[in-house]
Amino acid sequence: MQYTLKRIEPNYKTGVSPLTDDYTQKPQEDVFTEEQVRRNVLTAKLSDLVNWGRKNSIWPYNFGLSCCYVEMATTFTPTHDLARFGSEVIRASPRQADLMVIAGTCFMKMAPVVQRLYEQLLEPRWVISMGSCANSGGMYDIYSVVQGVDKFLPVDLYVPGCPPRPEAFLEGLLMLQNSIGKEQRPLSWVVGDQGIYKANLPSQRDTKHAERQAQTILRTPDSV
Amino acid sequence: MADGTPSTVPEIVRELNARFGDAAFTLQRTADGMPTLWVAVERLQEVLRWLKNEAPKPYKMLYDLTAIDERLRKNRLGQPAADFSVVYQLLSVERDLAAPRTAAGDLRLKVALQGATTDNFPHLPSITGIYPNANWYEREVWDLFGIVFDGHPNLRRILLPPSWKGGHPLRKEHAARATEFDPYQLTALRQDMEQEALRFNPEEWGMKRGSEEHDFMFLNLGPNHPAAHGAFRVVLQLDGEEIVDCVPDIGYHHRGAEKMGERQSWHSYIPYTDRIDYLGGVMNNLPYVMALEKLAGIQVPERVQCIRVMMTEFFRITSHLLFYGTMAQDVGAMSPVFYMFVDRQKAYDVIEAITGFRMHPAWFRIGGVAHDLPKGWEQKVQEFLDWMPKRLDGYRKACLENSIVKARCVDVAAYNTAEALEWGVTGPGLRATGCDYDLRKVRPYCGYENYDFEVPLGHKGDIYDRIVVREEEIRQSLRIIEQCLKNMPSGPYKADHALTTPPVKDRTLQDIETLITHFLQVSWGPIMPAGETSFMVEATKGINSYYLVADGGTASYRTRIRTPSFPHLQQIPSVIRGQMVPDLIAYIASIDFVMADVDR
Repeated sequence: MQYTLKRIEPNYKTGVSPLTDDYTQKPQEDVFTEEQVRRNVLTAKLSDLVNWGRKNSIWPYNFGLSCCYVEMATTFTPTHDLARFGSEVIRASPRQADLMVIAGTCFMKMAPVVQRLYEQLLEPRWVISMGSCANSGGMYDIYSVVQGVDKFLPVDLYVPGCPPRPEAFLEGLLMLQNSIGKEQRPLSWVVGDQGIYKANLPSQRDTKHAERQAQTILRTPDSV
Repeated sequence: MADGTPSTVPEIVRELNARFGDAAFTLQRTADGMPTLWVAVERLQEVLRWLKNEAPKPYKMLYDLTAIDERLRKNRLGQPAADFSVVYQLLSVERDLAAPRTAAGDLRLKVALQGATTDNFPHLPSITGIYPNANWYEREVWDLFGIVFDGHPNLRRILLPPSWKGGHPLRKEHAARATEFDPYQLTALRQDMEQEALRFNPEEWGMKRGSEEHDFMFLNLGPNHPAAHGAFRVVLQLDGEEIVDCVPDIGYHHRGAEKMGERQSWHSYIPYTDRIDYLGGVMNNLPYVMALEKLAGIQVPERVQCIRVMMTEFFRITSHLLFYGTMAQDVGAMSPVFYMFVDRQKAYDVIEAITGFRMHPAWFRIGGVAHDLPKGWEQKVQEFLDWMPKRLDGYRKACLENSIVKARCVDVAAYNTAEALEWGVTGPGLRATGCDYDLRKVRPYCGYENYDFEVPLGHKGDIYDRIVVREEEIRQSLRIIEQCLKNMPSGPYKADHALTTPPVKDRTLQDIETLITHFLQVSWGPIMPAGETSFMVEATKGINSYYLVADGGTASYRTRIRTPSFPHLQQIPSVIRGQMVPDLIAYIASIDFVMADVDR
């Protein structure tokens, strides 16, 4: 193998790559160009920076009720790899988490427990309702099942399916991230308006309607 | 015979008649051919005690205990008059193994209860003194039917919350739908009240709060705990880190699947079966559709049998892989579960290509399957067969030979065959004790007798053996799938029978008659002949069976789902007393249950 030796230059000037040989010939004033400043300094509103941090590091609470949880867990594993979106750190305690995914059927015996766990999540906190049972009771219009977790919890986002595919859950999570990026929250209890402004999420049925209607050739189940 | 009743009197009926006299029993004919005897409530305990302890090749296992609300049933088919009947199903492994392929180990006893009104509870004696695992079953019957078992040590609700005011849901006068009641509200007051109702009170369970030297600690594990595998709660009575006793608390996952069967058509109930053992997919459809096929007298074509075997074995593999990964995770190995989920994904690729869905395909039909196999399925299945074995070899090194896994699992939470039968344990948990009892061999169904495979057995009955048995079962399932791939018969994917649902297409559009018949069958659903039927299969977690009462309508009159995980959880205290908390975590993982399979 061929090597090129580069010695440490004690009079090295910042802003110029030491790999270019003629850096010493460059005049001093060109080194700190506006370009360099633009590359290294970020100006933004503090609230935007906080939102950026929040949306890219959602820590979900390790909470599952039934079948949907298996598909939710599948998104944490390599094929779907939730870590790409910064949400792989599942926490075993609600006090360390900021997202609760209601993955499964909400039973009347379980509802007070779900409520209690939700109360233990610290603000800011978000709730995804995953699957038909959590959304509306789904197939189970039956004496022991609460007809949708939104009967007692504020839900930020609904993921349809029975159970939803891992891809559907991922899409839901990305939409929630987007919405978190647009949220307006007070930076502290003494700064600014104390309300929370949440971005309205458009219905996916409306958004995707045109695209779905344009789909005229459907694959037959006769071949794989 | 169309109704499946054997023409000769079964051996056990002759033995019972000889012992107790002909007058003691009334024989009932059922479509599943299982010996079904009505016995007077006064003689019940005596008969059961004899069957368990004195009968030749005794019935050591109480397989199931349930009830039927008979008050609105039109077709009683000559059974003794009853408002409620309580059904005891017993299993003798010895009889089954002595006469394989005859289902000789089954026996169903029924007791008639009279004089029940809406607020009057019928009584009968508890059998917990004879079969200890009757405890939870009797609590369930009390909870859902309001039948009182005299002498039960702690007859309280099990599936519904202790604060439940709504009566007993499986009674016919009880409404089924949540939307028939006031909308659910969780006010702060109700929240406090419900939380208070869930508080554990040791005195209610006859537990002491301390020994002479020191106080015990009561630790509440669940209903939401990462190691509890779902909404399951177990309260531990601890002396330091040693478990003195524990009380499993279930019912956080009760979806009313049995009541649901009474309002769905025979056909539209199939998707609900998928969600019983939600890791088992079409494995759950199998006992349900096979029970109905027995009732209707449908013989399915060979191709259907082979497709069914192949798909259920695929689900056995995905379920066992999830067990294997989470088991390793619960004893501290973080990586294997990630590898195994990749394998599950590969299996789901095949399942999805064939059935169109991942977890709950609801793909079996009464009399067949939903579609024929798609073109190119062989390639997909072959890819999986090529992929899996070398991965399993790797896991053997990473998990089974791992010294930490061995230290946590060998000789921990062990029970022997007698204890397993006493508690109603079936499946890998039973075979890990060395009992060679696999329904696919003992009572082959779906053509399992034509396949070449072995039943892996353990010998110690500890956690490690349960892992090894399941690991080997994955390999055997691969063998079975390979044989399906090589020998898939040609032919139709539906039986040519009037009750096949949906009907065979080319028999539907001939004239107005066939058009109407077809329309009614897919809108109202098929009408099954009145009768009683059941079917047992070796499911992923143990023996799963459906006991169906048809009253000549488009829906079931009573659907009983006997799931393996229910007795497995009931067994926990007897196994774990005197061991450590970490042993309990490993033990719970080794049971391999999902709560939907417990609470239904």
